[in-house]
Amino acid sequence: MTQPQSSSPDTQWPRWEVFKQDAPGRPHQAVGSVHAGDPPHALVTARNVFVRRPAAVSLWCVREDDILTATPEELTTHPALLDSPGETGTYHVGVKRTNKRSMTFVDLSGTVQASGSGDALRKAQIMHPDVLAWMVFPESAVVRTDEDPGTVESWFAPAKEKTYKQQQYYGVIGRHVGELKRAGLMPGRAPSEEGA
Amino acid sequence: MTTTPTTLTDPQAQALLLKLTVLADDEIILAHRDGEWTGHAPILEEDIALANIAQDELGHAGLYLSLAQTLGGSDPDQVAFWRGPDDYRNTRLVELPKGDWAFTMVRQFLYDTSEALWLEAATRSTYASLAEIAAKAVREEKFHVQHTALWVERLALGTPESERRTQAALTELWPHAAQLFQPVEGEAELTASGILPDLNAVHARWTDLITWHLVDKCGLTLPDAPTTQPGRDTHTEHLAPLLEEMQSVARQHPDAEVW
Repeated sequence: MTQPQSSSPDTQWPRWEVFKQDAPGRPHQAVGSVHAGDPPHALVTARNVFVRRPAAVSLWCVREDDILTATPEELTTHPALLDSPGETGTYHVGVKRTNKRSMTFVDLSGTVQASGSGDALRKAQIMHPDVLAWMVFPESAVVRTDEDPGTVESWFAPAKEKTYKQQQYYGVIGRHVGELKRAGLMPGRAPSEEGA
Repeated sequence: MTTTPTTLTDPQAQALLLKLTVLADDEIILAHRDGEWTGHAPILEEDIALANIAQDELGHAGLYLSLAQTLGGSDPDQVAFWRGPDDYRNTRLVELPKGDWAFTMVRQFLYDTSEALWLEAATRSTYASLAEIAAKAVREEKFHVQHTALWVERLALGTPESERRTQAALTELWPHAAQLFQPVEGEAELTASGILPDLNAVHARWTDLITWHLVDKCGLTLPDAPTTQPGRDTHTEHLAPLLEEMQSVARQHPDAEVW
């Protein structure tokens, strides 16, 4: 990495990808990222930002620098990604299958043994050929919430009892878009060029 | 566990009502001070985190005041928005202006540890309704302690400037901290009945815990504190403007029923 030329210092702490598990047995899913100074700070911050309302039983954080991602297009234009170096060991594999989800972006689907992050990416590609993107990171880079009952109780249990309302619950000024749609009052698609 | 009193005597109910009100007052005022950081915290993630903590504290105030209502107390909104500084019974610790981030984190740490320990003891109350809300609130409070202890440690052991600010915050806050352990009128009887935790025991555990963290772990110095303090009815000049702002909307729209 080259040093940024900008004279203004980077005031952000490192970025960490946050993986949330909704229930035992479910995969950890990438839900977004936080900036934090160190691993415990990343976990505490992730809990505050991502687990106030929805249910969760476990959080993982992984530093951005430890994650390798690629889309099929990127692998075509940058095949050297498959040679990315890294430690030999266990790697987590995540895949993004659809653009139609909100709140979660990548599901962790399992682990592979690899000689580096590029090798892990190659194996991810073989295991999951038809996806929108792959993500790999070494097991050693993961920081996790403790699984003891005390942590589960104080980090995750309170969220279950808090009121969680979908956006539609809240009133709108004027009429709700759903109501307008049902009444046929919403404009359709912009006229296409052929139709114009 | 001994027999559970399902009904309180009148003096017990009055004392418990007062205790619940002072606990709620601390939560409300501290939540407001924390809320003043919204949009101003050092980084977005901490902005969200502190707003979460503030909301949790307000939630605890709601639990206390709802229980107080069953003992003859007023509607919680009425208690929060229609009492002036003369009637509020919060500690001076929580009403001091928010200061810098070190001040906010040190105050929150002193407060969270005391509340977590008190609530943990209150889960064993012989008054089932209190034990129930304590069990609910203590979970969140334990997490608050982790967050604020983490921050105090990083600030105290960070740069010379962050260390200086953290020590300055502790020096300013420390004389007010023991106020968290002042009993209300009639509290001794409730403690004897097993309804309320033994405040002296909670205070001793708190002193051990915060001394271990602040002094042993973070290298900070606990200054001398006054041996006696004015009561919770004596406020600084900072409470009145806080209430004026906090209550302004409710007072402009006294008939509003839905927010």
